[in-house]
Amino acid sequence: MIDRFQYREDREAYSAARVKALEALLIKKGIITDKTVDTVLDFFETKMGPFNGAKIVARAWVDPSFKDRLVTDTPAAIAELNLPEGMAGAEGEHMRAVANSPDVHNLIICTLCSCYPWPVLGLPPYWYKDPTFRSRAAREPRAVLGEFGLPVPEAIEIKVWDSSAQIRWFVVPERPVGTEGMTEAELEALVTPEAMMGVAIAKAA
Amino acid sequence: MLTQFEHFAITEMMGKTDNPPRANGSLCFGSQWERSSFGMALALAKNGIFEWDDFRDELISTIKAWEDAHPVDRSTWNYYDQFLAALEKAVVKAGIIDPEEIRAVLAA
Repeated sequence: MIDRFQYREDREAYSAARVKALEALLIKKGIITDKTVDTVLDFFETKMGPFNGAKIVARAWVDPSFKDRLVTDTPAAIAELNLPEGMAGAEGEHMRAVANSPDVHNLIICTLCSCYPWPVLGLPPYWYKDPTFRSRAAREPRAVLGEFGLPVPEAIEIKVWDSSAQIRWFVVPERPVGTEGMTEAELEALVTPEAMMGVAIAKAA
Repeated sequence: MLTQFEHFAITEMMGKTDNPPRANGSLCFGSQWERSSFGMALALAKNGIFEWDDFRDELISTIKAWEDAHPVDRSTWNYYDQFLAALEKAVVKAGIIDPEEIRAVLAA
């Protein structure tokens, strides 16, 4: 609207100036404050996201009794950890963890973005809402996982968990071999949202 | 359904042309101005200055216009350039800022 966007050599600086101008005007008019942007984004950056899920999984890897409690009563086990407030509220209250084992691989699906355990997994990937993904994952999970680059041997059972308004599933992947000496913080870095959805496994670096 | 507006707003965009860049499940920004554009749009919609759906329509049509103008070489693509352009249109349309005011601040 100011100028129709054209490529400019200094477009990075120009964009920055436009945003600064906009923010200054909105603050001057009392519509937002200088804290507003941080407050809104703090939600994604520090409170609700896959970093929470990574902490939960890493704890389950180092503490087998925690892992047992996690799959038995997920909210109670999560409450043991020092995670941001709200993990058990809103969408978080219906979370249930399922653990992979040498015999079973778990996969979570759902067409609705509302049925996703976002306090622990963050924002769902674009394909998660795709009806094709959901129907195919339910019908032929092994083929779909293969397309994700995760061939699951026939000997391993695949369980598909359909998240709903009642239950939002997430997967505790198996601890990768070769991570025996790692600290809990180092292990957290190995836990990806994809592994907690069951479309990947956790790997040692 | 009880939900956080921020999460609702972003998940509504998933899988669409206006899908914001993410890395490992988290939103990612290449610079401070990208982050600020995004945060301002969320905050303004949250405060009822404009409807999130209307902003998204603005963003989708802005992205489409860019794509139509760059049918072959899309090396200059930046998602947040489109986001910022849509945000400027949205605040003007909402009547809270006059384009002249932005020009004046930029010229100062």
